[in-house]
Amino acid sequence: MPVVPQSFAMGEMLAVLLARDMADGEKAIVGTNSDIQVAACNLARARHAPHLWWVSGPGGMTNPTEGIIRPAADAENIAVAQAVMDLPLMIDFIDWQVHFFDFAILGALQTDRFGNINTVCVGDHAKPRLRGPGTVGISALCGLSKRFYIMMTRHDRGAFVPKVDFVCGAGHMTGGSSRTDAGLPEGGPRLVVTPLGVFDFEPASKAMRVRSLHEGVTIDEVRDNTGFDLLVPDKIERTLAPDAEELFVLRRAVDTTGVLPAKFPWPKAN
Amino acid sequence: MKTSSGKIVDLATALSVVKDGMTVGIGGWIFHGQPMALIRGLIARGVRDLTLVPAPGSVAPDMLIGAGCVKETACVFISFEHLGLAPNFRRAAQSGTVKVLEMDGPGIAGGLRAGACDLPYGLIPDLGTDLPKVNPNGYRKARVQEGSRPLLEVPAIKPDVLLLHGQQADEEGNVQYFGAGYFDLLMAQAAKHVICSVDRIVPTSTVRQSARLTKIPSAFVDAIVVTPFGAHPGCSPGLYDQDEAHLKTYVAASRDQKSFDSYLDTFVRNGGGEPAYRDKIGAQALAALTSGGAAP
Repeated sequence: MPVVPQSFAMGEMLAVLLARDMADGEKAIVGTNSDIQVAACNLARARHAPHLWWVSGPGGMTNPTEGIIRPAADAENIAVAQAVMDLPLMIDFIDWQVHFFDFAILGALQTDRFGNINTVCVGDHAKPRLRGPGTVGISALCGLSKRFYIMMTRHDRGAFVPKVDFVCGAGHMTGGSSRTDAGLPEGGPRLVVTPLGVFDFEPASKAMRVRSLHEGVTIDEVRDNTGFDLLVPDKIERTLAPDAEELFVLRRAVDTTGVLPAKFPWPKAN
Repeated sequence: MKTSSGKIVDLATALSVVKDGMTVGIGGWIFHGQPMALIRGLIARGVRDLTLVPAPGSVAPDMLIGAGCVKETACVFISFEHLGLAPNFRRAAQSGTVKVLEMDGPGIAGGLRAGACDLPYGLIPDLGTDLPKVNPNGYRKARVQEGSRPLLEVPAIKPDVLLLHGQQADEEGNVQYFGAGYFDLLMAQAAKHVICSVDRIVPTSTVRQSARLTKIPSAFVDAIVVTPFGAHPGCSPGLYDQDEAHLKTYVAASRDQKSFDSYLDTFVRNGGGEPAYRDKIGAQALAALTSGGAAP
């Protein structure tokens, strides 16, 4: 994967790109093992979206904003939360209610041309080449929130495949109007953020499209590392890198112990 | 130990209800509140052919699978998070030695709620996933009225035995949690028999002082086992952190079956039970986990 080293870590850049797209007053959910997601939500709260509301999916803590990024399930979040909800009550709005959440941010083993998500297995389910962790709330968050983001810490042909081997989170399904035709609420993936660029989905076909490429990344490199044909606009934008103010707030108010640079450096160029 | 309620029992007595072929639920969440002393006890007893219904978990289902105690397991989520994929679960799933009943959050939530309510099945939204294809008995198309959103029926989940871990309990069997309760109470409502390990016993006056910490009231518990560090190598929220060094040892030992058997012989199948386990881990290592120093 071609990557140009920057003065900020990959995890910091992904958090900044996600935070920029969040709006004040929105409701979000953060799952297990979600350092970048926590950082993005708290960065948005610290800058332009002070009333963004987020809840730890497993732990039920709301808006824990301590300046230290902890696993969302950790008990330490309780002391810095605004409320602590119990999961058997939360399941109503997580697993059943339509459009309670404005958005969720999900990682994946694989994603595809229409932004479907797979965290279950690579290869045939009965005898997988790679057994992944499973679906947990991804099905519900992809299916029921108003939109979702796909956050990939790797961008290569293993992760960006023509069709995911197992759909555990429905994106735009087979494109066009197939998602709502299947009876799912309006929604689906809005952006895909990766170490190479930012991608969106063309409104009619719902196929993945290049929105911007990060500094130093060429379209040929992205094509070489994507297992399907991306839609490419006539003029390709350059991703606006995190600016000094964004990085200052991120490092001084959100991730004061440097979890993101420690856990999510830029991948080594190949 | 004789108590007024008779619910506090030793590990062997508590686990004697678990028979080969039973359906066993496991509470907690990933590395939080994994009932490891109970898991180790089951492995030492050599139970076989279990069907597991774990809440999103890590080392608890993974160790039982690696020890050959499991015929099939539901998988909502089994992960070692930053330490990678669950090694023994992964090997068993990829080789087909354990059958995987693929599930998701709505499936286990709807199934447990139906189980707790004595309903035959729960109704969940059809979210367009491949789950019904690979688990057709777990997800059946529901008949709905014209124009309704598409729904799936998920059969009630009623584990024969449920294994939980809390931080402290009183002698009546009220279990207190210093962190989140996750699915534990809902699972306890759905299960036929509930065994809960706790790190310590406290006077009932202590429980009454902070009754809001009681996530599992005594009516939902059949047996309490007092096992200090009973969630190790996972964390017991508020008492001790997960043991990163030991978890790495565990993952390294899980590279193949022979190596993992050797891990189990050393730490689990040595005849010494939990006291021997704590000795093997070492007082200094355990004490370090209670200092908060391992937290980020």
